[in-house]
Amino acid sequence: MAMTKSQRRRITSGVRYVVLSVWGLMAFFPIYWIISTSFKLDTQWFAWPPYYFPSPPTLANYMNVWFGAEEYAQTQYAISSQKPLISLYNSTVIAVTSTFLSVLFGSMIAYGVSRYRILSEARMFQLLMLRMIPPIVIVAPLSLYYTAIGLIDTRFGLILVYFLTTLPYAVWMTKSFIDEVPLEVEQAAEILGASRWRTVFEIVLPLIRSGLVATFLFILILTWSEYLLALIITKTQVTTLPIELSKYQGSTEGRVYGRQAALAVGITVPLMIVGLIIRKHLARGFSFGMVRR
Amino acid sequence: MARIELCNLEKSFGAVHAVKDLSFTIEDGEFVVFVGPSGCGKTTTLRMIAGFEDPTSGEIRIDGRVVNDLEPRDRGLGMVFQSHALFPHKNVAQNIEFGLRMKNVPPEERVKRVREVAEMVRIGHLLEKMPSQCSGGESQRVALARTLVTNPSTFLLDEPLSSLDAKLRRELRAECDRLHQALKRTFIYVTHDQEEAMTLADRIVVMRLGEIVQIGSPMEIYSNPVNYFVADFFGSPSMNLVAGEIVQANGTARFRSASFDVALPDSFKAAKAGAVTLGIRPEHVGVTLGSGGDIELPVRLVEPLGKDTLLYFDAGVERAFVAVTEGLGMAEIKAGERIALSFDRRRIHLFDGDGLRIAGAR
Amino acid sequence: MTVAALSAAEAPLQASPRAVSRRRAVRRFKLSLLAPLIALFAFVLMPVLLLQLYFSVHQWTVYLGSWWDADYIGLDLFKEVLTDPRFGWAVLRSLAFATGSTVGCFVFGFLLAYLMHKPFRGQAIYYIIFILPMLTVPVVVAYTAEMMLYQSGPLNDVITRLSGIEFKPSWLSDPHLALMTVSLLEIWNWTPFSFIIMLAGLTAIPKEPIEAAEILGASKWRIFWEVQVPLLRPVILLALVLRFLEAMAEFPKTWSLFQGGPGSATETLPVYIFMTTWQYFEISKGAAMSYIVMLLMIVIVLFAIRLLRREKRSLDKMYEQTDSPKVEA
Repeated sequence: MAMTKSQRRRITSGVRYVVLSVWGLMAFFPIYWIISTSFKLDTQWFAWPPYYFPSPPTLANYMNVWFGAEEYAQTQYAISSQKPLISLYNSTVIAVTSTFLSVLFGSMIAYGVSRYRILSEARMFQLLMLRMIPPIVIVAPLSLYYTAIGLIDTRFGLILVYFLTTLPYAVWMTKSFIDEVPLEVEQAAEILGASRWRTVFEIVLPLIRSGLVATFLFILILTWSEYLLALIITKTQVTTLPIELSKYQGSTEGRVYGRQAALAVGITVPLMIVGLIIRKHLARGFSFGMVRR
Repeated sequence: MARIELCNLEKSFGAVHAVKDLSFTIEDGEFVVFVGPSGCGKTTTLRMIAGFEDPTSGEIRIDGRVVNDLEPRDRGLGMVFQSHALFPHKNVAQNIEFGLRMKNVPPEERVKRVREVAEMVRIGHLLEKMPSQCSGGESQRVALARTLVTNPSTFLLDEPLSSLDAKLRRELRAECDRLHQALKRTFIYVTHDQEEAMTLADRIVVMRLGEIVQIGSPMEIYSNPVNYFVADFFGSPSMNLVAGEIVQANGTARFRSASFDVALPDSFKAAKAGAVTLGIRPEHVGVTLGSGGDIELPVRLVEPLGKDTLLYFDAGVERAFVAVTEGLGMAEIKAGERIALSFDRRRIHLFDGDGLRIAGAR
Repeated sequence: MTVAALSAAEAPLQASPRAVSRRRAVRRFKLSLLAPLIALFAFVLMPVLLLQLYFSVHQWTVYLGSWWDADYIGLDLFKEVLTDPRFGWAVLRSLAFATGSTVGCFVFGFLLAYLMHKPFRGQAIYYIIFILPMLTVPVVVAYTAEMMLYQSGPLNDVITRLSGIEFKPSWLSDPHLALMTVSLLEIWNWTPFSFIIMLAGLTAIPKEPIEAAEILGASKWRIFWEVQVPLLRPVILLALVLRFLEAMAEFPKTWSLFQGGPGSATETLPVYIFMTTWQYFEISKGAAMSYIVMLLMIVIVLFAIRLLRREKRSLDKMYEQTDSPKVEA
């Protein structure tokens, strides 16, 4: 029996919604789980059968983890240190500063490449190696080098290495925006008397403002969630949030899922907000500006 | 005041030789138009004068001073771009003010000058608008104002009107002319539009394949083209160009093509026999109803334009042979009719096998 | 105000007297744009690479005294690493993990992107939900997995309830499953990456060839294979190559969840290097290992770059990026 075109279309559309919804549930369920766990009382973290909803929801985990509030601590799960707030401060300072440096100097380099070819195409691709070769291969000598020059366990040390490793993204992504600025606009400024620097700061950068913001937020995602370099360079003094979270692992206090979840949600939510703001630019970012929308 | 000399200017982009050994002097206050088909090197030449391209070799002098190694901003020039190149994030007033700001003109003075210039090109009402809110013609006026306000010694205009529609183009062409008259500055104008060149220029520089083909006033270029290329490029409708040969017979030279045969004026009496191209402008071909012309051709198409009527004839080749008649008197002629045509003999041009004009003896 | 008045009024603002030599200024400008990069290379990257070279040919561990008078032992460590079966297994595990997760990400990502590339109701919501996993900190992914994957945990429970069959694999403690568990996590985490890249690619394809094929009577299937896939080749390769390289470097999830265990089931290259260096404190062996991995990765990356360079060109063509004239090349 032949189907009409509209019948076929309705079936196609139905199948699409089913497939997408199934994947949507799979994508969202773990996120839901960690959020709900963060509101669960300690008896529900590890129960059988599992509690799918926190009942009743409690803020105890948040109050205890983030503010060290003892009165919310229940029995042996209390975590009394106030480290997360310090880590939050460290993470913020390190991520924002290194990202700022990366975007600022990255866009300068990108401008030079786009207009003056200060790096050949081959060099530009070699720059990508900074990102493509696993950082694990240099962390040992890096930490020894940092020890020697006194940068180990400092914010500046981590900022510097984040600056280095995110630079390829910054250069490539901002270049893809700068390439879209018409050359004649710059030349108009130049012939009207603007110096090269002035042209960059008064004409080019303002014109790619939204691109710069997107690049900034994109790199912020990378620096905010980085784990390996932070683990090795800042082990004791200046921990970042991902490292702080990993300290709950294998602790002698047993499984403290609710506390971990409260911390994890706190780390992830800002990242998700940032990511959703620049959701249209994510493809451009992750593909080094090669894919545009 | 600016006199611009170009001496043996060369520019290559890799293997592409964009400008070849170009030497030419632009006098102070002159309106010079560089014209030619795209890729002829005219824009590259202009950009070398502006300082956006470094010549591969050769010198550019402004008032006797070699400027090859000067920044564009230090050359005292103003430039208007094809794309207008307004700063999209600044409003019209800020756009115009930009050049003054770069030269550290005090704010009160700036405001005054911006007003004046805006009035001058009639965009006083647009000052608060953003470039994206301006039409094409308005944008180009803003671009003009932005250049005018810095009062440069020389204006460089790179196909400034080519992104506009025909009516605006005429309007702004007149504007350019008026500004040149009033400011008495040097204008260097690049275009691929021969009509713009003809109406604006004091002198036209025709370029092709990186070389200057001919320099001259519009009238010179129009009536004495040095070669086939110039002859074909200028004029609308363009010159009739018919391939054929010269035949010497009884002491007179005749031109013979596939479809007609015509006696040449005495000035060509000594012309060598051989393959040539005959050129004659449509307005120098007379149409006579009845017989008695030099040649007779069948009509292919009649195009009444109102003031004039264009007649297209079949000359045995793809390109039609065109004649212009005044008024609509000939509009009723049907395709296929054979019509007698007479040539204004003094206006016949002959081009040899290499396309060069064969000079007739005077 | 008339034109004539203005022209008569003032002398032109002439060229500034301090005219800079342009060529010198351009060179200085280019250099200052490049300076930070040069500084980073000279003061961070170069010393680190030199140190790495030093340690890989000298025998040193933290228990010994000062590292600068460690014994020179030539290429012994390289020999040791290359004959170490654990290292060989780590290479294989990394390759298997990277290949498996890359293919997984790609298949799901492409499928979702294909289903989403034409507008429909609710598209924006699905898009947001689909990219959320990518916006989760990798360490958080690991801990979430731990909370969900224990044997009587919610995942097994949900599957058991839905299917009605007892489903109790031990994701975290079964050595046969562990590497697969990490691969699945990687797929969950990074399918959004393939998804957004493929979606961007699919929506950037010009409509005309597809419409032309439709009018010529091609089926959806034929259009997909003969029009869309060839046009998408650059984007597909990009998604595969970048994902593979990132997967080769995956550390946070594998380490946080398994520390190489159970047994050595999840001992991928990054994990093994990390353990050698930071748990056994065999700094020199770690350095030699790093060196070998670096060389291996350089070979892979150079190959990847060759691919990317070619594909970027066709991509740029697709975006109809007309060559803007470059100044002062």
